[in-house]
Amino acid sequence: MADIVGFAVAWIVTSALGELGVSAVRRGSIYYYTASNQALDGESAFGFILMMLVPVVAFIVVMLLYNMIRFRARGKEIVRSHVQFYTNKTFVTVWIAISVVVNLLFYLHPTASALEQMFNGEEARYNRQDLIVNVTARQWQWLFNYPQYNITQAADANGNSVMFLPADRTIKFVLRSYDPFHTYDANAGVIHGFWVPAFGLKQDIIPGETRYLYIHTNKITSYDVNPMVRVQCTEVCGPGHPFMEAPVHVVSARDFQKWIVSQQKQQQS
Amino acid sequence: MSSIATDLLGDSPSQTHRRPMLPPVVRGLIWALIAFLVFNTLISEVLDRMPYHPFVTRASVTVGWVAAVCAWLLGVGVWEGVVKPSFGFPTLWETPTDWRKYFMYSTDHRVIGLQYIFSSIGGFMIAGFAAMLMRLELMNQNLWVFSNPGAYLSTVGIHGTVMMFSVGTVGLVGGFGNYLIPLMVGSNKSAFPRMSGISQWLVPAGIATVVLSPVLGQWTTGWRGYEPLASQDPAGIVFYYLGVFALTTSSLMVAINLTATILFKRAPGLTWNRIPMFAWGMLTVSLLNLIWLPEIQMAFLLGLLGAVIPFPFFTQVGSPLTYLEVFWLFGHPEVYIVVVPAFALWQEILPVMGQKSLFARQWGIIGLVFVMILSGMVWAHHMFTNMSNSQMLPFSFFTEIISIPTGFAYLVVIGTLWKARLRLTTPTLLILMSMFNFLIGGVTGVLLADPVVNLQVHDSFFVVAHFHYTIIGAMIFSWFAAFYYWLPKFTGRMYSERWGKVLSVWIFIAFNVAFLQMFLLGLHGMNRWVPVYPAYLQPMNFQVSLFAILLGIGFVLHFLHIAWMWWHGPRVEENPWRSKTLEWQTASPPGEENFTTIPTVVRGFYDYSDDRSAVAVDVHSDAPKGAR
Repeated sequence: MADIVGFAVAWIVTSALGELGVSAVRRGSIYYYTASNQALDGESAFGFILMMLVPVVAFIVVMLLYNMIRFRARGKEIVRSHVQFYTNKTFVTVWIAISVVVNLLFYLHPTASALEQMFNGEEARYNRQDLIVNVTARQWQWLFNYPQYNITQAADANGNSVMFLPADRTIKFVLRSYDPFHTYDANAGVIHGFWVPAFGLKQDIIPGETRYLYIHTNKITSYDVNPMVRVQCTEVCGPGHPFMEAPVHVVSARDFQKWIVSQQKQQQS
Repeated sequence: MSSIATDLLGDSPSQTHRRPMLPPVVRGLIWALIAFLVFNTLISEVLDRMPYHPFVTRASVTVGWVAAVCAWLLGVGVWEGVVKPSFGFPTLWETPTDWRKYFMYSTDHRVIGLQYIFSSIGGFMIAGFAAMLMRLELMNQNLWVFSNPGAYLSTVGIHGTVMMFSVGTVGLVGGFGNYLIPLMVGSNKSAFPRMSGISQWLVPAGIATVVLSPVLGQWTTGWRGYEPLASQDPAGIVFYYLGVFALTTSSLMVAINLTATILFKRAPGLTWNRIPMFAWGMLTVSLLNLIWLPEIQMAFLLGLLGAVIPFPFFTQVGSPLTYLEVFWLFGHPEVYIVVVPAFALWQEILPVMGQKSLFARQWGIIGLVFVMILSGMVWAHHMFTNMSNSQMLPFSFFTEIISIPTGFAYLVVIGTLWKARLRLTTPTLLILMSMFNFLIGGVTGVLLADPVVNLQVHDSFFVVAHFHYTIIGAMIFSWFAAFYYWLPKFTGRMYSERWGKVLSVWIFIAFNVAFLQMFLLGLHGMNRWVPVYPAYLQPMNFQVSLFAILLGIGFVLHFLHIAWMWWHGPRVEENPWRSKTLEWQTASPPGEENFTTIPTVVRGFYDYSDDRSAVAVDVHSDAPKGAR
């Protein structure tokens, strides 16, 4: 009995300390830097799972340490333990019940609930005012095209691909993988991965398929503010893979309009 | 062990006479070289001449490789051991009794087990060296070790492929499984000794093939060989397919042999209720191998055809997604092939070290079996970035609930250790470390099972850290525990507790500091397969590399320690741990035969409530002849 009490105290103290640690991390930022509603959803799911798992992890770790220290054999002699039992129905039942309950909980929240948020964000009826950005991945370059503004290839003054987005707006990324400059080559397309770390979601881009990714930007920021605001290829696509990135700028609606105008001018020249 | 090959035929040793012969490994290499040259030339110069006629083409190298591997197998002894006897020729070949028996074809499960262990260590060293090169490269955000990203990515591919197929799936199964399973089930040999002898020699061939792949050209896909990139890459990918084919064939033969041994070679009285935990682990993992290895072999064969013919099944004009699906259909069971033996080892070693009866044994077995079953239902969680919304929910569900049977391994261990008299030996320490590491791997696995979280951390260093926690953290740590636990069995000698513990703490600290930071790197935006990355990630990468290199040194020191003690350790009694399982009830190392009389099992092996033996009669084998 003394052992059970001793273990329980150690477990509760460790869990409490762990919870304090996790809540400190959650007050900061688990994802380091976020710039979309989707990233915030993911971050809170992450934090919730961590919070719920602290007592579970603490139970195992404290148990392993407690057993290791408290029940270690002293002396060189090999002696059988004087306590022997083969099972304990209560312990096994409680263990299984808790593991089933925790898993069902995680499945309902955050898995199903957060997915519902994500699915809703993709519903067409919510997305009539979306900014559409056609994203084309080729080896090894990102190409951004704004069909609503007739911008065929957004680029900075040096001709490098750049993405500008208005803040507080839903963006519909239309993702394709092919090489628009070598359309005759059926083997040019490989799998790429579209990821803006600060946006909290990614999607693979498979040649021959058109896919969509929805993001709601929630702050004005840019690659210059935080390097996590960049488009980064995440699926290995050949030797040029590490270089397949592009800066992202999330700007105010007015600055976005200005940028559109300048791009249109640049395109005509 | 005068002559196993003749024993199989019933010839008496007096009829054999020695013929001068090259050392089998050297002969195998020469035969392989000749076979490669003949068949390669036949294809590239005669049957299938290409424009500008290169001497080595993809088709010729494939056919030449098949011929070379067959010749290699024949050369190391399959010719005398299998082929000639099959046609009724007498075997004129004496098996040496000294160290040379480890460098030739053998039908002795203990020799084969040790050969597998040596092959695995070789693969571990080569792939580990590749990892060191990668970590050295990543100390700096620019290219400085490698001259181009393709060279780095080829190294990544070699590291992953060799580690997975020659260490992860082989170290505990082909190695410890082959050595221990017949001993543990009370048999003097495995079910298919001749096939088992062949299968071992595919491992060095497979490792060499994958390591030599850059000779044919770079391949940038990593160990997953994703299409259509694989079919676009230079020809190095051909040796990836062929090397993996050799290694998976080897594992498949091991699986057939171990399954049959456990099912049919058990000693009298060794009922299903009494099968040792490690044997349960081997049985479940062998069934996984039997189900999933043929599947991935077919997929890789289609990939190989794509590279050689070409047969554009998985390219842009075919279906790239199909490759991803067939790969992960095997790929997730594969990681359980790696880790299930570790679960079994926890439950095998700790009751002995605690001298306390195994707790809730049936739940431990249920856990192993259900992990095996569920592992085939979770695979698409590797593809949340590739699936429609409706598929996310079921795969997320199965992935989350696989934590329940996995948890049973912890349930059993915790109940066993409670009020035990736990000896804090090196194997105990390594097992407890392995359980801690797998806990971190498992918890981050729960996070990864959540699709919304997964879509952020997928393909980032978070995932790299997660699977290294399950593979190095759980399997490799348990592998070292197995080395220390069974070293007295292999050699009759004991290691140094002090060095064992110091080195174990060393690798534990180095491993955790290196890989915990990788989780943070992933969250901070470090993607995979990049020798060049944004500068803000450099400081943490530098620290990771530092501790990764310390980890590598720690592994090497462990092997040096084990090798030293193999020859110079103090002699110990036959059963130094006071275990009740069968492999410890005979001499250490066992004599010519495992058991002079086949034991009769009268009770389970994990009951430490009294000193009664689990076997009815004394089963000691002779002490080894010419004992070291």
